[in-house]
Amino acid sequence: MLELASQMKEAAAAVQARWSEQPVAGIILGTGLGRLADEIADSVAIPYADVPHFPQSTAIGHAGQLVCGQLAGRPVVAFQGRFHLYEGNSAQQAAMPVRLLQAMNVPAMIVSNAAGGLNPHYRVGDLMMIEDQINLQFDNPLIGVNDDNLGPRFPDMSAPYDIELQTQAAQIAQQADIELHRGVYVSVLGPNYETRAEYRMARQLGGDAVGMSTTPETTAARHAGMRVLGFSTITNVGSPDILSETDGHDVIAAADAASGKLRTIVEGVVSSF
Amino acid sequence: MLELYGQIEEAVAFIRTKWDQTPVAGIVLGTGLGNLAAQIESPIAIDYADIPNFPVSTATSHAGRFVCGMLDGVPIVAMEGRIHQYEGVPLKQITLPIRVMKALGANLLIVSQAVGGMNPQYVAGDVMIIDDQINLMGDNPLVGVNDDRLGERFPDMSAPYTPELIEVGMEIARQGNFHVHRGVTVAVTGPNLETRAEYRFLRMIGADVVGMSTVPEVIVAVHGGMRVFGLSVVTDMCLPDALKVAVTEEIIAVANAAEPKLRALVLGVLAHEAKRKA
Repeated sequence: MLELASQMKEAAAAVQARWSEQPVAGIILGTGLGRLADEIADSVAIPYADVPHFPQSTAIGHAGQLVCGQLAGRPVVAFQGRFHLYEGNSAQQAAMPVRLLQAMNVPAMIVSNAAGGLNPHYRVGDLMMIEDQINLQFDNPLIGVNDDNLGPRFPDMSAPYDIELQTQAAQIAQQADIELHRGVYVSVLGPNYETRAEYRMARQLGGDAVGMSTTPETTAARHAGMRVLGFSTITNVGSPDILSETDGHDVIAAADAASGKLRTIVEGVVSSF
Repeated sequence: MLELYGQIEEAVAFIRTKWDQTPVAGIVLGTGLGNLAAQIESPIAIDYADIPNFPVSTATSHAGRFVCGMLDGVPIVAMEGRIHQYEGVPLKQITLPIRVMKALGANLLIVSQAVGGMNPQYVAGDVMIIDDQINLMGDNPLVGVNDDRLGERFPDMSAPYTPELIEVGMEIARQGNFHVHRGVTVAVTGPNLETRAEYRFLRMIGADVVGMSTVPEVIVAVHGGMRVFGLSVVTDMCLPDALKVAVTEEIIAVANAAEPKLRALVLGVLAHEAKRKA
């Protein structure tokens, strides 16, 4: 872990050599939400392969590049494609984008994902703002010797998702007449979708949505002292007693359909930074 | 993960030098079902150690042989002895024999396991047909780059145990006038048995029984498109507020006592599957 800081300095230098602005936020684009990157003006795209020490993404629906530019008139760095644990990455590798943001002194991160809805009030295509998280991935990006230059050994997790930013996002959603749930995101390892029994478990534990990402990034971002805002797009509904088959392509289609609503909220929040 | 395909082909090629039939099913003989192997006719038994890329078992009461032959006139392959996560072997290696069964032509996996009973209506010696599973092993055999030749990236798990075969199993028990449960198994790493607090937790999240196997094998079978029939033998009751010390010898004795029921279920499902294929 001690070499991580210097590795990410090299990565940041490689990015800054091609794009020299100071970003106000980093955006991690989940399944199907990659299109938000199309809204970024004056953009510079940097393939992950060109960023030193970055792992490579293999998941469907994930391109694998940084898009730097202006969103809602503010400089941002967006990550199109992320690193999942089910691909064989460690949680620490999954959090690499966050460490890059940290090395670039980015104060805030907006993270999105595709998730299965556990809360019976949720429907396919709904948006949930992540209020809290449960890590059921059996890994943590902070395992290893702690680098005190990156963050504290035992970071507080009493409010991993920034409460002020949540309030702001809720107001933007309300003004735009977008229904926005607030709930708890449970992360699992994957890659298989959950069984009915696993959906029941995740609901019983207090989860509103379940997915295979996001908690490593958020955990690292809190370690780094960044403000975090997170969203789940409900791409399938995991009601265990009326469970239908889940297909990866249906998930992407549902996420695409909801991406307009999410874009409105994210652009609204970014414009205030 | 992509080298797995080659490893499977090597193992299959080796087995094919000794046995040339197409199995209807692959059977994992868990604790208590080991004696079923003795019933396999014209058996070709191969030590795991002799099969390229096969993991090797160390558990008590598990022999560690891949047996090919006829069971009630139906060609099958069977694992006599299985490898567990607590032995320190990665799930991808543990589940390689299931990939080999599929590659040999088996479209059905029959799997059995010894478990601790947490549902208070169960008693030691009961048999449960597995309806569903919870993976709490902290790992998954499908982690890594997906090989599309073996299965899809995100397999659906809405019904990992084939509903038709669950019904067939329930009917076999009714016809045979013995009782079976139908419930949820949860898999943990082990090797220590659970604490009282852990049993409470596992019961609370919806499990009826707890074991240290089966779930990885079933994930791989579903990934490979196999039909699955699973059985749990309740070898001891794990009621947190009346917990007794577990004795391995007693567990194995109870599992052996339940064997006639297991045998009837396995042979009945196998006959159903053979008829379905015919």
